[in-house]
Amino acid sequence: MTHHDCAHCSSDACATEMLNLAEANSIETAWHRYEKQQPQCGFGSAGLCCRICLKGPCRIDPFGEGPKYGVCGADRDTIVARHLVRMIAAGTAAHSEHGRHIALAMQHISQGELHDYSIRDEAKLYAIAKTLGVATEGRGLLAIVGDLAAITLGDFQNQDYDKPCAWLAASLTPRRVKRLGDLGLLPHNIDASVAQTMSRTHVGCDADPTNLILGGLRVAMADLDGSMLATELSDALFGTPQPVVSAANLGVMKRGAVNIAVNGHNPMLSDIICDVAADLRDEAIAAGAAEGINIIGICCTGHEVMMRHGVPLATNYLSQELPILTGALEAMVVDVQCIMPSLPRIAECFHTQIITTDKHNKISGATHVPFDEHKAVETAKTIIRMAIAAFGRRDPNRVAIPAFKQKSIVGFSAEAVVAALAKVNADDPLKPLVDNVVNGNIQGIVLFVGCNTTKVQQDSAYVDLAKSLAKRNVLVLATGCAAGAFAKAGLMTSEATTQYAGEGLKGVLSAIGTAAGLGGPLPLVMHMGSCVDNSRAVALATALANKLGVDLSDLPLVASAPECMSEKALAIGSWAVTIGLPTHVGSVPPVIGSQIVTKLVTETAKDLVGGYFIVDTDPKSAGDKLYAAIQERRAGLGL
Amino acid sequence: MPPIKENVIIYANPDHCLSCHSCELACAVAHSGGHDMIEAIAANLPLHARNKVVSVDGTAMPMQCRQCEDAPCTFACPTGACRQADGQVQIVEQHCIGCKLCVMVCPFGAITVRSETVVEQGACTNRGVAKKCDLCVDWRASTGKTAPACVEACPTKAIRMVDLDAYRIALREARAREIAKSHRHMRVQF
Ligand code: SF4
Ligand code: SF4
Ligand code: SF4
Ligand code: SF4
Repeated sequence: MTHHDCAHCSSDACATEMLNLAEANSIETAWHRYEKQQPQCGFGSAGLCCRICLKGPCRIDPFGEGPKYGVCGADRDTIVARHLVRMIAAGTAAHSEHGRHIALAMQHISQGELHDYSIRDEAKLYAIAKTLGVATEGRGLLAIVGDLAAITLGDFQNQDYDKPCAWLAASLTPRRVKRLGDLGLLPHNIDASVAQTMSRTHVGCDADPTNLILGGLRVAMADLDGSMLATELSDALFGTPQPVVSAANLGVMKRGAVNIAVNGHNPMLSDIICDVAADLRDEAIAAGAAEGINIIGICCTGHEVMMRHGVPLATNYLSQELPILTGALEAMVVDVQCIMPSLPRIAECFHTQIITTDKHNKISGATHVPFDEHKAVETAKTIIRMAIAAFGRRDPNRVAIPAFKQKSIVGFSAEAVVAALAKVNADDPLKPLVDNVVNGNIQGIVLFVGCNTTKVQQDSAYVDLAKSLAKRNVLVLATGCAAGAFAKAGLMTSEATTQYAGEGLKGVLSAIGTAAGLGGPLPLVMHMGSCVDNSRAVALATALANKLGVDLSDLPLVASAPECMSEKALAIGSWAVTIGLPTHVGSVPPVIGSQIVTKLVTETAKDLVGGYFIVDTDPKSAGDKLYAAIQERRAGLGL
Repeated sequence: MPPIKENVIIYANPDHCLSCHSCELACAVAHSGGHDMIEAIAANLPLHARNKVVSVDGTAMPMQCRQCEDAPCTFACPTGACRQADGQVQIVEQHCIGCKLCVMVCPFGAITVRSETVVEQGACTNRGVAKKCDLCVDWRASTGKTAPACVEACPTKAIRMVDLDAYRIALREARAREIAKSHRHMRVQF
């Protein structure tokens, strides 16, 4: 391994400490691999490399001296558009497959199967039934669950192209449903939307960049549908998150415990692991771990269990290899999405077991323990026992757990936010929020979403942007690895509100926090969950828009993904645009090779759907642009 | 004494290089003895690029031997394998012993010592010899191409083989055009 100075790889002190350790031990991490990938191909970065058929790859010379067309005749605009919408479809497939998993579990529960699961939040179940128009009067719980599962699975099965997906139609503002319906942007079926995107981008199909991008927005809306149903049904199944005090960063690992990290996205197994860990505590103690079992979270599985069980968060996406380097991680249990294939290679240097659990997501070098919902508790126990066995192989001399962690108040589901507001005004909970937006104490709302990327100093863009917007009285919401960044940086605390919020925002957060019995202001950044949970923010925004009698595109609400990298993030960004939000991305998507596509997503979209992309790699100017977009919306509302 | 013509070089325009590595691939294939990349990979032929696209300060710079006129590698070579010949700096592989002195003195990091055959463990020799950009003389002779493989492969024409005479003429003409234009407006008596 070549020497690699990682002093500025991450703004997270624990990550930096572990990266120095990696350097000293010649262990290669994502940052080393990124270095080795330099220079990265300019054609790919610009979106000008087409690999759609075997006549390719074809590349268009952005400088105009070389080829202008692929072998089939596709020009730069067609090539860029096709590849972009394929990425959006892949993101949609990922979120929605997660949703299908949850929906099928609900169906099986309604059929009397899956005895390790139950409906933990009946109130939420009834609320969903009301939204989807399922009768509840005098009916048994399982019958309702069955109907909800059937309607949800209908969003994967409906063949009537003009009938929109049930969840979207029932959840968005009426105006948005109408506007998108008129534009043909409401998907009728999640699976069909993904399949149709693959089909229209096959060689010799859709070549019109505008038509392709509209198709991309349609499939992105299917991503929102899939995310929404995944989140809402998970709440019924596992409980709707409520504010809970937890902690974040590698200091949450315990020298005296069997440390088990859950990594990935789907709560189906990780939630059960949290439940049964207590049962196996004595076995861990008998194996020499005086502090028992310590479950810690990584990436979005981490957020699922952090929100619902208060399980501390070890780290977010880009630094997921680093908990292994503490020498104190017995096992990392992974499910789906954003799991680095390098994990087993790093674990090889330690005693750590990498355990894959999903039959569609295996990694060579890892141990595969197939997860079956019918035997969830049994699977969870097997895995925990593997971790306990690994504890015996731990080398105490190599244990190096960073001493740093941050307190984090998390669990702000839309319901939790409304409940907190209800403490201020029980009859009309949204009124305090509306009043403060109107009087300017809150200028607007920003939702931070997305990942980490080696192209940005880890977490730094999130922290810089959030501080700069909060100072200007913008309410900050976050999900996914954005939320991980804020938790690690200590911005999910009352202290952060006192330190960084502008006066107006500080006043509002203090009033609500005190009324809600938090003993201080609400945290500066409200943790709304994993990346599939962005629909929570949409639910809150929709409630706000409906109360004001306006559309989502009228609200002073913006989204930002300053460190995005995954196809899911592109899908999220694209539906955020489609529901009307000015949406910032801080790592440049592969569209710059086509001026037409770039213009479509950054300008034309605004006329069409109200939302548009803001591409800016500089957090400072991006903050100014987001604030300006908020002001434009306020002016539109006459504020 | 008749003047010695300068060696031709590969000129690279960093502003046009997209770091696609096509030139590296092409170089490796051209020196592999195979016809194309797929064939070379399938036949397990040695694929070593003699050029390297280097990323610095956000720019990609294709690097290879500059065919120096007072080449340190030729002075350092104890066997005379590395020498000026036929308008370029050549390494006669049969004479090279792989001592790497040329590698160490080349200011551009242009030379790598590599073996092209699989050598048994414990054999007396690694069979490594020095490799650097040879302007594709053999490849051009066998394929009838005029430009080296990397230049052929570059999709943005960021690299070119440059004859310094032609380069100078082009430079002079360009500047002459500008100066002539300016001087037309100068009416100074002195
Ligand atoms: S689809 Fe067209 S542009 Fe793409 S690889 Fe095939 S021939 Fe080339
Ligand atoms: S490696 Fe070969 S070319 Fe280089 S100095 Fe030694 S003998 Fe000469
Ligand atoms: S190998 Fe290096 S020293 Fe030798 S001629 Fe080329 S650039 Fe000059
Ligand atoms: S082919 Fe051209 S653009 Fe590609 S790496 Fe070589 S010099 Fe750079």
